Amino acid sequence: MSEAQRRPTATGRAVAIGALAVGATLLVLLIAMLADAGRLRAAANTPGAVRDRAAIVRLAGVTDLAVSSSSRWLRHPSVSEPGAAFSDAPAMFDADPAGAAVPLPRALYRGASRMQIDVRRSAAP
Amino acid sequence: MKRQRALAAYALGALVRRRGRSVAVAAGLAFVVALFASVLFLGDALRAEVEAGARYVPDLSVQRVVAGRPALLSTDITTSVRRIPGVRSVQARVWGYLYVPPISANVTVIGASGREALVHATLVDGRAMRAGERDACVLGAVLADALGVRAGDEIALSSDVGGASSRTFVLRVVGTFRDGSALRTADLLVTSDANARALLGVAEGFATDLAVTLTTPDEARVATEKIARLVPGARVIDKLLLRRSYALTLDGRGGLLTAMLLPALAALLLLAWDRLTGLSEAERREIGVLKAIGWEVSDVLSARIWESLIVAFVGAAVGVLAAYAYVFLAEAPGLAGALYGWSALYPPLRLTPQVDAAQTLALVVGVALPFVAVGLVPAWRAATLDPDRALRGGA
Repeated sequence: MSEAQRRPTATGRAVAIGALAVGATLLVLLIAMLADAGRLRAAANTPGAVRDRAAIVRLAGVTDLAVSSSSRWLRHPSVSEPGAAFSDAPAMFDADPAGAAVPLPRALYRGASRMQIDVRRSAAP
Repeated sequence: MKRQRALAAYALGALVRRRGRSVAVAAGLAFVVALFASVLFLGDALRAEVEAGARYVPDLSVQRVVAGRPALLSTDITTSVRRIPGVRSVQARVWGYLYVPPISANVTVIGASGREALVHATLVDGRAMRAGERDACVLGAVLADALGVRAGDEIALSSDVGGASSRTFVLRVVGTFRDGSALRTADLLVTSDANARALLGVAEGFATDLAVTLTTPDEARVATEKIARLVPGARVIDKLLLRRSYALTLDGRGGLLTAMLLPALAALLLLAWDRLTGLSEAERREIGVLKAIGWEVSDVLSARIWESLIVAFVGAAVGVLAAYAYVFLAEAPGLAGALYGWSALYPPLRLTPQVDAAQTLALVVGVALPFVAVGLVPAWRAATLDPDRALRGGA
């Protein structure tokens, strides 16, 4: 590679500037992403947020997340008894991961509960 | 340095000349990185959320298991457990699940008598429960939405309709949990112990489990053994065991999803190998010209490595950014479904990101390195082409 070949042409310079711009934009976006993550982490750890979280966990007695109530062992994995996967309903499917793709036939639960719920609106607006 | 800058500039030019292929490979790489990073970000955020609450759970939770199923505990044993040295307090808890057919949902009912003060004003819209207040309840926001109720409304629950113990009772919804705690409260119905007993069919004198607080948490093992001797069929879960259980559950789920994505990564690397191995006629001619005008093998090799590095960096960076936006801004539509299962009540997945600079760097480098490595052999083959044969169009 000779010295002359190493000298960038006008088109080469434009490409280099474009690439630098793309690279710089990506870097700035990555830094912004990390800053956003840091901001959200700080917000989740303010004294008020920590106190609220502690109150909820102490109230419920468990720290399980209400992300899935498909099954007892998914809603409260920490306190489910061994074998819970098989004791929720007759012919209970494996709800994790197959339950995510194949929904449980709700007919299985029909008749399993005779609970009714009615809502009575308050007079206040 | 100057030489490398010139080679990088040449690589950029080459990428622009073959922009279709460059964009396709970078987009494929970004897609695979986004899939991997999404699973990683989601798993880390869930694990951190659980960990953040784990320190507030009781030191020991005592259950009773009969025939492999949870059974109710007699509250009589609380006095005996309280007498065990090292036990500071024992609380008999009444809680359980209620399937409500009208909304096809499982509701978690929690009896909170004696713990009403925990539901303080900042947690709820409406008002908190008052100590000793009967017939009041606080609902999770998602449950309240599903029922279409708000603070001030009443819900009339009829248990065992048409059955021998049929009973209807009315609860006033005094408040609903705010969205900020939805990850833990989405499906909760918090009410007095008496109401929880009536709803769940737990007779007086029995409890779902016991929450035990120890004076020295390090003595959990000793206390566990003593409780096990005291309570027939006892299953004692200590905080440490509980944390391990969470880690296993979440790691298992994250690992499973990651494993499902491995074929995608393998397919992309295979594609990259295939694309980089097969030199087009124009590329062959270009290399021939370069070598004829004095480029060395190391120059051609470096230029090809620069090409791979640039594509890998752009693809990985775009992938990481897309994953962050997908998980934390869009709340992971699709992927969240794998967590929700067929639940009818689930909270919006507003998680706290745990992404840091080290993880981002590891992701970008972890993708760039194998990608450049895959391109090395084809780059070497291109660099060692005989200029005369390359220009004449030979292999």
